[in-house]
Amino acid sequence: MILVNHDAVEVNFDAGRASLRVNNLNVFDDHDIANSLTLGLGLPGDPDYPFPAIAPVAPVRATVSFDVEWNGIHDMAQLNNTAQNFKGTFLSTGATIKWSAEQSGFRFESESPDPSRNLISVLGREQNGVFFT
Amino acid sequence: MNEQDPSFWKRVKQTRLSRRGLIHGVAGTVAGVSFLTPKLVLADEGEDSENASCAIASPIPGGVTPFKPFGVVVHHNPLNPANPLAKLNDPSQITDFDGFVGLTHIRGGGTGTNTNTGATTPLAFQADMGFSQGKFVGIDGRQHNRTFAFV
Repeated sequence: MILVNHDAVEVNFDAGRASLRVNNLNVFDDHDIANSLTLGLGLPGDPDYPFPAIAPVAPVRATVSFDVEWNGIHDMAQLNNTAQNFKGTFLSTGATIKWSAEQSGFRFESESPDPSRNLISVLGREQNGVFFT
Repeated sequence: MNEQDPSFWKRVKQTRLSRRGLIHGVAGTVAGVSFLTPKLVLADEGEDSENASCAIASPIPGGVTPFKPFGVVVHHNPLNPANPLAKLNDPSQITDFDGFVGLTHIRGGGTGTNTNTGATTPLAFQADMGFSQGKFVGIDGRQHNRTFAFV
């Protein structure tokens, strides 16, 4: 989780809309998901292990900018989950993303926002933990 | 979904730096292009920066360890398109929280450019991103009102 300015997020929950906009965030490019989650150790690729070997890769500095937009209510549910201690109102929505990233010698620019690329997106107004009572 | 790794979160709190695969690239047609997998950095920026050090939230109890037994626990319940909304796991990454959350799982494409040569390459990506905005009880036991990006 990254602490961002309050105005980086705008929410109109009743309309099923929200946005997350951040520019030039300093991050590290860990090269791949495995190195990111193993803190740069890669994966061993043992015969009984379900993932292939991935070599350790040192991270490099990068900046990333993104604009994620939630829009359009597809479904709504009121949940009260005592197993996970959370409750609230949740919306299944459409969503798009436009993002870019840059590091020494490389730049990535995503395609234009395309609603058809959304696999699943959710907005919620929730309470959990000590606020779950 | 109920695994915990207090040492991981403790380290995050201590270093104010964590790693997660939040955007991860998938190879396009050319091998050797670096993909972006930014690690999380708890920024000291923003309107509440003077209190950022005490604004760190506690993680939800559950999460995933995609490369178990290797890798860190990620206190995040990824959205699953196969699950109905009524079966949603807690979409928040922080606990003791009261506010708005957003999560999205999007795939797409784009263009990678070698800025030294100008050569371009079509690339694919997958983004698992979101936000939390609202009040929470931080690790300092005090209530805060903050906005977090899940990148």
